[in-house]
This record gives sequence, C-alpha cells and structure tokens, in this order.
Amino acid sequence: MRITYQLMACLVTLVASAAAAATTFDKQVDAEARGVVEISNTSGSVEVSGWDKPQVSVHAELGGAVERVEVTSEPGRTLIKVLVPGHSWGDGEAKLHVQVPKGSELHLSTVSANANVSGVLGVQRLTVVSGDVVTEIAGADLELKSVSGDVKVRGHGQSARLYVSSVSGDVHLEHGAGDLEISSVSGTLAVTLDSARLVRARTTSGDLRFEGKLTRAASFEATSVSGDLKVRAPAEGGYSYDLSSFSGDIDNCFGAKREKSGGVGHSLSGTLGDGAGHVRLKTMSGDIELCDRS
Amino acid sequence: MSGPEERKVKVNSLAELPAAIEPGRDLWPAIQARLKSAPLSQAPSRFTRLRWLAAAAMVASVAVGVWIGRDLWPLPSSGTGAPPLTAQHPLTEGAAVNAAYMSDPRYRRERAALMKSVQAQLETMPPQTRAKVAASLAAIESAKKDLENALGKDPSNALLQELLINTYQDEMRVLTDVHEAGDAGRGI
Repeated sequence: MRITYQLMACLVTLVASAAAAATTFDKQVDAEARGVVEISNTSGSVEVSGWDKPQVSVHAELGGAVERVEVTSEPGRTLIKVLVPGHSWGDGEAKLHVQVPKGSELHLSTVSANANVSGVLGVQRLTVVSGDVVTEIAGADLELKSVSGDVKVRGHGQSARLYVSSVSGDVHLEHGAGDLEISSVSGTLAVTLDSARLVRARTTSGDLRFEGKLTRAASFEATSVSGDLKVRAPAEGGYSYDLSSFSGDIDNCFGAKREKSGGVGHSLSGTLGDGAGHVRLKTMSGDIELCDRS
Repeated sequence: MSGPEERKVKVNSLAELPAAIEPGRDLWPAIQARLKSAPLSQAPSRFTRLRWLAAAAMVASVAVGVWIGRDLWPLPSSGTGAPPLTAQHPLTEGAAVNAAYMSDPRYRRERAALMKSVQAQLETMPPQTRAKVAASLAAIESAKKDLENALGKDPSNALLQELLINTYQDEMRVLTDVHEAGDAGRGI
C-alpha cells in the first residue's frame, strides 16, 4: 500500500514537471510582402529569417513562466509578442523562430534575448538591452540600439542609412555602405564599409577601428574622450584632414608631421589628393592614427 | 597732355559746355573683361569685412558663454558628495540631483527624471547587464571629470570644450536609450 502511494506521488510529480516544462507554439498568418512585422520577447532568443511566402510563420519553445504568445495580424502589420506575467525582465524564456516575407520592415525589441536576423531586405529597427544581436542588412536602413549586448552587422555593400548605438556592448559592422552614425560609451567599434559617404562616430572610452573607402566629397568625423581612433580610409578625390588630440599621440602613414597647437595639445592638418572630402578626428587622451590606404 | 590745356579755356556759362563728351574709344569691352576676370572674393567690400567681424564676434561670444556657463556648473570635486557611479554604488536620487552640472533648469529636471527612471529600470535588469550599464555610466562620469580637469589647465581649449559638450550629450543619449529599452520588456 505504501509503495503504491509512493508510486502515485512520483507519477504526480512527473506530470507536474512535464506541465511546467517547455511547451511549443506554432502559428502562421497571412502578411503583406512589404508589411511591418513587430516582435517583442523578453528573454531567450529570437531568430528571424526572410522567405518568399506572403506569410509570417512563428514557432516558439516556451519556458514554464511564459503566459502565452500573441500573434495578431492586421493589414500591413503583424505583431508577435511573448507575454510574461508580472512584466519582470529576464523572467520566462521563449525561443522564437519567425519567418517573414523578405521585403518586410522589421521592428524587434528584446531585453535579454539574443537576436539573429537574416534575409530580411526591409528597414530594420532593433532594440536590445542585454542580448547579443547578429543581423544581415541589404540596401534598407538600419536603426539598432543596444545597451550591453554585443552587435554584429553584416552588409552586402549596398548603400543605406545606418544608425547603430551601444552603451557598453561591442559593435562589429562589416561590408556596410552609405551613411553611418555610430556611437558607444565603452564598447569597441570595429567598422568596415565598402563605400562611405557620411560617417559620424563617437565613443567615450571605447576604441574605434574603421576601414573603408570614402566616396568623392565624403565627410568623416570621429571623436572620443579616451578611446583610440584608428582610421584607414582611401578616398576618391582625396580629402582635407584635421586631427587633434589634447594628450594622445597622432600618427599617419603618409609622412605628415604633427604640429603643436597654441595651447596644450597636438594637431595635424593638411590635404590629400584634391581635398574633395574631409576627415576630422578628435580625442582628449586617445591616440589617433590615420592612413589613406586600405 | 593736350587735355589740361584744353580745360584752361575760359567758360562763361554752362550752356557753353557740350551736352556729352564721348571717349576717344569704346571702353566697355575692357570694363566687361575686368568684371569677368575678377572673382568676388578678391574684392572684399566693407560689407564682407563687417560680416566676418560679426561672425568672429559671435563665435567669441559663444565660446565665452560656454566658458562662463561651465564656471556655473558645480564641479564633482566641489563637495557635491555624489558617490562615484559603479556597480557597487549604483545611482541614487540624491546622486542624480547632485550630478546635475548644467545650469539650465529644464536640463536639470529632465536629467534627474531620467536618472530616477533608469535607476528603477536598472534594478529590474539582469545583474550582469546592470553592472555593465553602471560601468558605462561611470565611464561617462569619469570622462566628464577628466575633461573638466583638463579644461582647468587649458580653459580656452576649444577641443576640450567640444568633447565635454559631446560627453554631456552622450550621457543624455545613454540615459534615454536605457529608458526606452526598459519598454522593450513590456512589449509593443
């Protein structure tokens, strides 16, 4: 009799555990080829990929604390939202796999969930608190804000307007093109652009490493307080350059000699080629290095 | 030399003078050629010079304004008592108020409100994230101090002034980003 009770108790525990364990969720809704898809997930992961179908497909593996996944569709807009009771951050993981029409505009917000986006050709607006982001961009604009997560952006050399900001995460951007505004407080910015027309970069203590070809009459400005600025930028039509640092070193690969300014600090300015564009690099204590060769 | 001699002829009334004196040759082609060849910048007018003077005065007054404004901001080392912002010493309301260096009341209000909101959000973040954000805000605080110290040695340094203003702007951007990121967990 006693053994029977123990067996029943084990069975109840197993059933309860199974109920609390991960469940799956699947849903598919019609969507416009160039509609907006909005995804919100607190923790876990989000994987988004573009496909040729005019539909949004959602597959999710849900942790026990997740209340439900809402998928709503209206003309031009699909909303996918993971609901966690209490709205507390990091409580209740969901692993989302979402397929969207490849021309979609993607709005994604996560807290501690990692995000991976591929094959989406429309505009991307991504907001992440502490998760890492990996995304692929085409010729559409990107707005990416990360607090502490690391960011990797891979382009295909198609011109777009790119805005990337991070507080403490590192940013790695490769094969971008067009206009770039990028900033970080303490994260490292590593950027390679196939062609750049306008670049604005700002860091507080993080370093900037830039490599890319500037278009004719391009404008490049970067400032840092204590981070180093290392820029390798050949340019069609050359550029005028203006480098200044309060206490950091200034170096270049074209043999120009730095001069001491009137007050404390150093500066180096001059013109390369026709001087069609301009490059301005400024730091307080960070080192500056400019090269007109890639 | 014959001209002056001719002018010495006594004239008794204006009526005796010819109505017009035509030049010996057509002068217009030469005038036109000089007008075309002379760029405007090579002939600075009084107006142009005044415009440059006005621009210089404006720049100077802005620089002086920035410097005077800076003098009005209480420096962190001037006894505000704000503890350094680290993971061990997260933001407090008192620190937020004490850390308001700018003299503009609207800026002070918005910064204090953001600090309070960000502090509340930081407490709900995963510990690792909280530590990273606190470290970044501490980096900004440290950068401001370094810049202010450097400006103390070289008060008229335009580079340092620019970097200091950038750093204040960056701090607001970070606070706004963290504030907005807090809504991410609450969905769309």
